[in-house]
Amino acid sequence: MATFIQLVVDGLSTGSIYAAIALALVLVHQATGLINFAQGGMAVLAAYSAWWLTARGVPLVLAILASIVLSFLLGAAVERWLMRRFERGDPDTAVVVTIGLLTLITGICGWLFTYNNQQFPSLFSLDAVSFLGVSVSQRSIGTTLVIVVVMFLLQGLFAGTKLGLALRAVAINPQSAAFSGLPVERLLMVGWGLAAVLGAIAGAMVAPQLTLTPGMLDNALVYALAAVILGGLSSPVGVVVAAWIIGVLENLAAVYIPLIGYDLKVAVPFILIFVVLVIRPQGLFGRKTVVRV
Amino acid sequence: MASVPSPRQRSWVRWAGPLLLVVVLAVLPLVFPESVNEIIARIGVFAVAVLGLNLVMGYTGQVSLGQIFFLGLGAYVTAYGVSNDWNIVVVFVLACTIPAVVGLLVALAAARLGGLAIAMVTVALPIVGVPLAKRLSDYTGGSQGLSARFGDAPEGTGLYDDQWRLYLVLAIGGAVFLLTRNLVRGKYGRVFAIVKKNENVASSVGISPYRYKVLAFTLASLIGGVSGFLYMLVIQYTSPETMSFGHSIQLLAAMVIGGAGSILGSILGGAYYVLVPQLTNLVDPSLTALLQGATLLVVLFVLPGGLASLARPLGRGRRSSHDRRGPTPPITPSATTGSGTAAETPETERQGHP
Repeated sequence: MATFIQLVVDGLSTGSIYAAIALALVLVHQATGLINFAQGGMAVLAAYSAWWLTARGVPLVLAILASIVLSFLLGAAVERWLMRRFERGDPDTAVVVTIGLLTLITGICGWLFTYNNQQFPSLFSLDAVSFLGVSVSQRSIGTTLVIVVVMFLLQGLFAGTKLGLALRAVAINPQSAAFSGLPVERLLMVGWGLAAVLGAIAGAMVAPQLTLTPGMLDNALVYALAAVILGGLSSPVGVVVAAWIIGVLENLAAVYIPLIGYDLKVAVPFILIFVVLVIRPQGLFGRKTVVRV
Repeated sequence: MASVPSPRQRSWVRWAGPLLLVVVLAVLPLVFPESVNEIIARIGVFAVAVLGLNLVMGYTGQVSLGQIFFLGLGAYVTAYGVSNDWNIVVVFVLACTIPAVVGLLVALAAARLGGLAIAMVTVALPIVGVPLAKRLSDYTGGSQGLSARFGDAPEGTGLYDDQWRLYLVLAIGGAVFLLTRNLVRGKYGRVFAIVKKNENVASSVGISPYRYKVLAFTLASLIGGVSGFLYMLVIQYTSPETMSFGHSIQLLAAMVIGGAGSILGSILGGAYYVLVPQLTNLVDPSLTALLQGATLLVVLFVLPGGLASLARPLGRGRRSSHDRRGPTPPITPSATTGSGTAAETPETERQGHP
């Protein structure tokens, strides 16, 4: 039973990482109607910049904050200079652009920092705490808490501020938003920037565990995409729940189902998707949309 | 019309070009040194793989990040069959059908979600495929991979092995290209084009986008299996690395750079996939990924039709005369090019972005 609870808590923590990246994907999709396959790559670049700063003697918290600011600028710049040209066009082309961006960013990271694994200092200690007789690592709890707090902040931003209202307006109907005087293009940049910030936080949380490599978040991106499919692109809450379910299930499957084991646990979300797609094609929490010709 | 003799002339021209190509392809392997023959054979292998990707992505508009998985699957099936001394024809048939069946199953689930879901699901294929290949080590040789040698030149032909293999690649690859070209120029190609352009229009005229997306994906998987067979023939070794995520992205980049929705573009894409990494490795191996990403983005900005669109002005004169042949029935343009639906496009695009 103790192992079980430990697995569940660890699963929630990795699930939170997937949730953060999945939320970033949803944010970008809401704003611009496309899936950013470079979301993980941008987060890796942020993690590398934080790592570079800590190696220069900057305290870890400051380095992560700096990398978050940098990511916001990077996200906004990518929207302004790269994606804007493709946003109104064919979504398939736009997806290929983000794949090109992923290759480019991976290449930049590999070129600047080599493809070798780099140790990223952890924000939380690795010691376990005893909680109701079960020992759970502080890092798992810390990661989960940070991501949950970030989600609440994001929710507050969207629900309670003028900026959030404007962002939602742009997501629902860019043309009407523009007619009512909103700076749509700048808001799109803010949306991309916020998504990049989410990614950067996730990257800084997971980097100590995975060790820093240019392809560090490739798998996490796949999990996040799975969460997005399961949760439904229109439902941030659904995406987060799906990410947690995936994190916990894959951890349990790795230990309790020998056929799957640690090496094949990446298949778990896709078995889940297979089942869900056959039963509920609109995703667990998504709504059926009707498009008229 | 005064064009009574000209169709006959044109049919001459139409046959002379391909005939010349066949003759050149038949002679070249005899002339080139072994290393060049091997590079051409590799280009042929990946041209077929890119062609499969083009069928589902370029012609039907469904982004697939899993094509390399079907190449790897075909290669593994071939390697397993050859090392167990199965009849090579049986091996070839299995190398086609097994990837096609897997592709069908994946597509049946993935195509249920509209839009970009196929991209989001197929990205899992290489990522799950690599550990799966390592796990099934009884069949795949684990991380070590499998090697199998077949397709040596039969005695009496007087050919070297590399020449014989290149002929096999050219024959099988050429057949796949010919069949695919006929497919995309015919009825199915028009349906794929409508599904790509506007799924809602397709379903409003009684075409099920789901069914044709599944069909395109299955055929692409089958062609991927053929390329896997050829891969084994030429390279004679496969490992989990063959179907890695990085290779999957490179294949997609090769298709876009070669030219999406173009037969010629598939060949150029195959050449890009084989030659350019060698060039960038010469410059600086650590820059390879950076240069490839930058190239892809530059091509998307400057040359959205890929390298094949550079060749299009050359063929324009011929194509326009081709179009003028015979009185065109009024249905064809709206069905093929979608010019009849152009008026509705702004409307549907607006609703497509809720």
